[in-house]
Amino acid sequence: MASGTKTDSDGAPDSPEDRLRALYEQGEAATADALEQLVARPSFGALLAHSAENVAALTRIGAEIADLVLRNLRVAGRADIIRLARELNRTEDKLERVLQEVELLRDELRDSSRRNAGRKRGEPAG
Amino acid sequence: MSALPRVARSPLDAVEFWNIILTTDDAATGLAPRDVVWTHRRTTLYRYRSSRRSHAVPLLLVFALINRPDIFDLRPGGSLVEYLLAEGFDVFLVDWGYPGEEDADMGLEEYVCDELDWAVRETLRASGAEELSLLGWCIGATLCAMYCGLERERQSAVRNIVLLTMPIDGRPSTYAKWVGGDDFDEERVARLWGALPGRAIDQANKMLKPMSNFFTTYRRLWDGVQQGTARREVYQPMAKWIADNPAFPGRAWAQWIRLMYKDGALPAGRVRLRGRRVDLGRIDQNLLVITAGADHIAPRNGTMPIFDLVSSEDVTHFDRPGGHIGLMAGSAARKGIWPDLATWLAERSDR
Repeated sequence: MASGTKTDSDGAPDSPEDRLRALYEQGEAATADALEQLVARPSFGALLAHSAENVAALTRIGAEIADLVLRNLRVAGRADIIRLARELNRTEDKLERVLQEVELLRDELRDSSRRNAGRKRGEPAG
Repeated sequence: MSALPRVARSPLDAVEFWNIILTTDDAATGLAPRDVVWTHRRTTLYRYRSSRRSHAVPLLLVFALINRPDIFDLRPGGSLVEYLLAEGFDVFLVDWGYPGEEDADMGLEEYVCDELDWAVRETLRASGAEELSLLGWCIGATLCAMYCGLERERQSAVRNIVLLTMPIDGRPSTYAKWVGGDDFDEERVARLWGALPGRAIDQANKMLKPMSNFFTTYRRLWDGVQQGTARREVYQPMAKWIADNPAFPGRAWAQWIRLMYKDGALPAGRVRLRGRRVDLGRIDQNLLVITAGADHIAPRNGTMPIFDLVSSEDVTHFDRPGGHIGLMAGSAARKGIWPDLATWLAERSDR
């Protein structure tokens, strides 16, 4: 076998197709490395950060215009639904705290009933 | 297969390839039977059904605020929950749900001091146990560490804490180059968006390895289809999970960016939640930290400072090859990390 010719694990020479695939995979890996280096550059970070702010601002402007149109049509818009949902959230927060207090009191009541029952059993008869 | 028959087969392969891609959303995930124990706002606490509970200490699973906790129970045969149930654990899961713009006011203090604290309370009530184990993954692990870093209340009930691929200092990561500079105003982005769209966060995550995520994944699937080795039942649940991206409440997101990528406040002990200082030195539970060698989302060196901070006497570190998610959800996990995790927990979960 000529020196420098690659073989697979069985010792058979690589087919042209295998060599092409290996070459392709090398290219793909090199591209992946290059792109990872690119995205790790501070300038890419700055571009991404500003793009994120711009997209967020455009989304907000779009949503506000849509809400304005809906409000003028006397239809509830996203902003109205969010406001309602926030009020529901606040109510649920309060309910959760009340529930926890009730459960705590119930536990305390149960414990004190148990203690009283134990004390009564321990009292001398008569 | 040589080139010519492969070309002749390619229309059929293309149909199969696109069928796998287009029916990904139909893949069944999160199939282990479970019951709702408690709900509050978007948060739900689940308890998995089991007739084999043999360990006294229940286990509460906590996932990140990005992506869904279905990764714990991805598919039959590839489910950590299923595995833990078979090992005799009483498994609970806290699911943060799908926050919307109305939840923009949810900050890290709401997640740590309310939702997680209350989930711990409800887990103890439902199980009748006095102690539990906490297992957090990614941001979920950081939330668990922050919870145990607060002064004692219900934290005393945490006997064991498992932190999977947990970032506590993100400044060495590529993320920090994107959002860690002074010119990135996270407060403004959070204010403008209310809740950060999950899709935007997902695209940013994918940009960390653009070639792998936007091209190589699909090229490998195509190769698999051509060679007849593509496993639809493995590819689809994972692809579905990756594409399922809840929004990140704006306030919590801005706090996260600041403390993780800007000022490294967590290891420095400068985080305060509702006026209470988060001191990781208060973590004295039995501690297992799991890092992944090829983790590009929460690189290993962003986790390592935890070992210099905690006061636990029982500290174990598993450093394994694998990625941020693949380590625990990949096909090798069932024979690799899961048995080690279950053994570690089992040794510390009995009376």
